[in-house]
Amino acid sequence: MSEVLERINRSFDEPEDEHDEVREYTLFIGPNHPGIEGNFALKLSLEGDTIVRAKTDGGYLHRGFEKLMEERLFMQNIAIVCRICVPDPDPNEENYARAVEAIAGIEVPERAKWIRVLVLELSRIASHLFTFGGHAGTIGLYTMPNWSIADRDRILDLFEELTGGRVYHIYNMPGGVRRDFPDGFERRVHEVMDYIESRLPDYDDLFFNNAILRKRAEGIGVLTSDQAIRWGATGPNLRAVGIPADLRRDDTYEVYDKLEFDIPTLTGGDALDRLLVRRKEIEESIRIVRQVVDNIPSGKVWNKQPNPLKWRVPAGDAYVRTESSKGEYAYYMVSDGGQRPYRVHVRGASTTHGVHILENLLVGTRIEDASQVMFSLDACPPEVDR
Amino acid sequence: MTNEQDIINRIEAAYPDAVCKKKQERRVEACLPPDRLFDFAGRMQSHWNFPHLSAISCVDWINEGEFELVYHFWSYEEKILVSAKIRIPREEARFISITELWQPAKFFERDIHEMFGVVFEGNDDLEKYILTEWEGPPPMRKDFVTRDFANRFYHFKEYEAEWMGPQQNPQAADVQGGSNE
Repeated sequence: MSEVLERINRSFDEPEDEHDEVREYTLFIGPNHPGIEGNFALKLSLEGDTIVRAKTDGGYLHRGFEKLMEERLFMQNIAIVCRICVPDPDPNEENYARAVEAIAGIEVPERAKWIRVLVLELSRIASHLFTFGGHAGTIGLYTMPNWSIADRDRILDLFEELTGGRVYHIYNMPGGVRRDFPDGFERRVHEVMDYIESRLPDYDDLFFNNAILRKRAEGIGVLTSDQAIRWGATGPNLRAVGIPADLRRDDTYEVYDKLEFDIPTLTGGDALDRLLVRRKEIEESIRIVRQVVDNIPSGKVWNKQPNPLKWRVPAGDAYVRTESSKGEYAYYMVSDGGQRPYRVHVRGASTTHGVHILENLLVGTRIEDASQVMFSLDACPPEVDR
Repeated sequence: MTNEQDIINRIEAAYPDAVCKKKQERRVEACLPPDRLFDFAGRMQSHWNFPHLSAISCVDWINEGEFELVYHFWSYEEKILVSAKIRIPREEARFISITELWQPAKFFERDIHEMFGVVFEGNDDLEKYILTEWEGPPPMRKDFVTRDFANRFYHFKEYEAEWMGPQQNPQAADVQGGSNE
């Protein structure tokens, strides 16, 4: 007995440095975890509750889209690209269609451009609502996911009516869009927009002004403007540090130059501000959708393209970019004059947010905020894995 | 704000061996010799106000025996995207890393290393990210054909499970159902 006591006493007397290797421990979050967006893993090294190092571990959603696209006809790929990002699939379709149009010099009818804007903005609202739900879930506010995801369903209803698909639309095609508005669609878009707008004050009461959110998200995962530029932040994450960069304005496409909208910015750069920027973006998107529905010109929606089974796109390359709900979404497409794309490189918005920025921002935060930081960056793993 | 031609003139004055052209609105392409790329990237960032590296793309031109690396730089003020293209030999492909200039390049280079097998000298993190259990050749190379790989490593067979037998025959299912009653 005394021998044991002696050994215990001796271990207390040893200088602390000798226990250095056991002070730090590693914890895995994911790949299947409610606090992780999609299937993704974080390997965290912790000291107590504080993260000292973080490594991301992706690949669980890798489906080889880029390789697959090289083996499919140009027309077949339209059904593939939207599947790259689940919550916000339309920027993929938009990019793919615009890349082919840029290489082949295809003209798009004016009405189709307006419809594309409508689809992109509806998708942005739906994606933001999804993120609010996810973010609220990470801090234990479980009413918000129920509300926002139920409201997102109203937008999915619109998509179903317009495109036939709720989540994946396969709607943008090189040369325009697949079909025109159904009868009375404009009225129903207005109804849904009025509804979403009427819900925003409720969201404020429930979530954005909630003391729990304010307490938990303020000052968490702070990104300075210098870091944001250096680490390649884009989209709402960049606007949350006060830089009003938006591809819809700066690298304008479709008819965004004809529409009136503001680019909301905040200066805090923390998780709360990133969230609030998205909240404000919903208002702007509603504004854009209303303008589109009210001012859309009449005309055809698709310029007929050659037989898709024999269609060859001339040799060339194009780099096209879209402002997705998560940031800059880009496609680099190369054609060698054949029936299939020679190479398509997908640059998801989360390629920088979900790996480099996330790994850096997690350092110094506490374990319970890790999920929140990931959701506040809106890092979407399928975009990283492709 | 400068226009595309100003950027082209600026590049051609500094790099006489560069071939530049305006691709379309707000897009400039610059083909450079590989040894000028690092210098070019540094000048883009520090002198010409292009702070955002949008992406690095790799294209496998197998017939020419070359990899093409395309660096996309964006300027928030000029609102122009410059795509700098360089070509390196495909065999034992190596190139210099630009991670010390652009931190996001770390992941883009890691991805290209994983998918095409290009080694970036100076990038300390070229570990596998997606294909951690993959031992074969880099799969995005053109000489890796997915269909051949599938045919070599997997075999196809008709699906004929025993339990499906009676269900395929509606009469047999009826008889069985009747006996249970």
